Amino acid sequence: MSENLKWRKLDNSAKIFPLSAGRKYSTVFRLSAVMKEKVNSKILEKAVNKTLEKYSSFKVKMKYGFFWYYLEENTKSPIIEEEKDYPCKYIDPSKNNDYLFKVTYFDTKINIDIFHVLTDGGSGVVFFREIIYTYLELLHPTVFNSNERLARKIDYNTEDSYLKNYEKNLKGNSSSKKAYALKGKKIKLGAISAIHEIINMSELKAECDRYGATVTQYLTAVLIYSIYEANYKKYLEKKKVNNKNGERNTNNLAIDKKEKFFKKPIKVCIPVNLKKYFPSKTMSNFFSYITLEADMKDLVTKAKSNQESLKQEIAKPKDSNEEQENDINQKMLVDEQLFTTIIDFVKNDFKQKLTEEEIIKTMSANVKLGTNLFIKAIPLELKKVLVRLSYLEIRKYTTITFSNIGRIGIIGKYKDYIDEFLMLIAPEPVEKIKCSGCTFENKMSFTFTSILNDNSIEKTFYHFLLNRGISVKIESNGVLDDISKKD
Amino acid sequence: MIYPKKINASNGEIITQIMLAISIAVAIILTIINKLTTPNVPWAALANGGIIYVWVIVKYSIHRNVNIAGHVLIQTIAVSILTVFIDYKLGFKGWSLSLAIPIILIVANTAMLILTIVSYKKYLRYAIYQLFILIFSVLPAILIGERVVTKPIMSIIAIGISILNLVITIILSAKDLGEAIKRKFHM
Repeated sequence: MSENLKWRKLDNSAKIFPLSAGRKYSTVFRLSAVMKEKVNSKILEKAVNKTLEKYSSFKVKMKYGFFWYYLEENTKSPIIEEEKDYPCKYIDPSKNNDYLFKVTYFDTKINIDIFHVLTDGGSGVVFFREIIYTYLELLHPTVFNSNERLARKIDYNTEDSYLKNYEKNLKGNSSSKKAYALKGKKIKLGAISAIHEIINMSELKAECDRYGATVTQYLTAVLIYSIYEANYKKYLEKKKVNNKNGERNTNNLAIDKKEKFFKKPIKVCIPVNLKKYFPSKTMSNFFSYITLEADMKDLVTKAKSNQESLKQEIAKPKDSNEEQENDINQKMLVDEQLFTTIIDFVKNDFKQKLTEEEIIKTMSANVKLGTNLFIKAIPLELKKVLVRLSYLEIRKYTTITFSNIGRIGIIGKYKDYIDEFLMLIAPEPVEKIKCSGCTFENKMSFTFTSILNDNSIEKTFYHFLLNRGISVKIESNGVLDDISKKD
Repeated sequence: MIYPKKINASNGEIITQIMLAISIAVAIILTIINKLTTPNVPWAALANGGIIYVWVIVKYSIHRNVNIAGHVLIQTIAVSILTVFIDYKLGFKGWSLSLAIPIILIVANTAMLILTIVSYKKYLRYAIYQLFILIFSVLPAILIGERVVTKPIMSIIAIGISILNLVITIILSAKDLGEAIKRKFHM
């Protein structure tokens, strides 16, 4: 009998990741669980190996094919080691026993970095949660001896759910407008800043209810507001000053430049879990995305016109104290009005784009690319070159990504051993900041991973929530240190 | 604190870049010295060919997930190119095509044959590399056909061993070879 290792084709989304991935574009996401006790590395290693027996779709290595990469069973054991690198770094299979995920630990925290070729955030959570359950069972056999999980049947497959659910004849809607790219210097080569804003969920929920928005919608609005205040507006002002001071600039040129700057919208890419829309038990990738396009010129104009009518309602000042108070009220009014305009836009855009029909359109357009016979027939090495070249352009159509994987449900007594969950996604040279969120019990962790040497967006986001009476705790990896000292 | 304070930034890439810069500098210096001292003898070109060969081999050795058959294939191609280059630089007497490449192919086919027999259970891993070596082994036949090779004895031996290799492979692992082709060429 020959050694016939199992293999499978990559799913439609996964096909693209290894073609574009490298040290600069790792396409890696991380899930972390902060436990209440120090991590036992030996038990963790056992837990990972035991989990791989159940979820063999992760026990794979990536192999070259003539037209596409594919996944083949990996006979080696995974390497479990102490965390010593920045999060979401490129996973070099040759230094990781060929595995496409990496489990690390530090003090009380367990991390798993997953190369997107394996799976998406939703299924990543399923695998990671199984590691945590198994780890706790091995660590505390007396507590978990009744083992309520044994009765739970693991039911999954690795089918390509894209191919099963896409519609051949649908055309996707693609925006032709390039996105505003976050401005600012990058941090030193290779470093990634991770800032977690741990938000009190019940307070956040109450605030969302005030605006009739979901948590994702509300946080997306806060994110757009923070980008506008801390980056977009700052550079717009800088441009105005430069234009005024520049000898060569006439007034018309200055206005032209401002117009050009304003033309680029802040585009937020929101990944969508397709399992909510289609029946699927796959552990492979099955997600799509929507892109919100915040035209700031339009939103600021709308906010200003609303302010004018409200300003008149504020009484005229009588003395200096009252005048000062009035100025503060005016500023708050301006901020509130802008935010209200942004959140109304976000809610409306979500309503329009987060429909089954729109999602199928986007998904189908992407699947059609992967199933196109001409594209399929291009040799892998040439595909790599073409994809990398086209990605130089494609990446200019997103300002930032915000992926909220929602609540991570943990059963029974297992909860008592976990403090919080974190999710992180790798930033890229064009999308210098990426945001992600997940919720465990009453803690929502909103994470900024960044290669920008400036944490003013993170700070604005933090202060915005604090000013709304929402408790936020900061945790960070210390790369951009000062915000972490605020707590 | 939930993150380590000291991060080991990987400096492997920097070391590679420094080594590459040194290699380029050495190549340029050798070329200049060659031009200034003995312009009629192209020894710098031979040395530079050697430098490129070492880089190709080192680059593939670093990739630890390339299996032994992959190394045989890379060495076969790299050494063949190097010998043709040396022959060309020394006035092209044809020894690279009539002698060196057939010997390289005999060694490569023998190595693959041993691998197939010794570890035929793992043959699926080697199949695609063996297939490429077999395809590469057609080269001496083409060269004989085109009358580029005037002394074909070694080439005929090389072709013979390649055919033997192919027959044994088909007898032992035809099914695996088919499976490997299915995997590697899936669309």
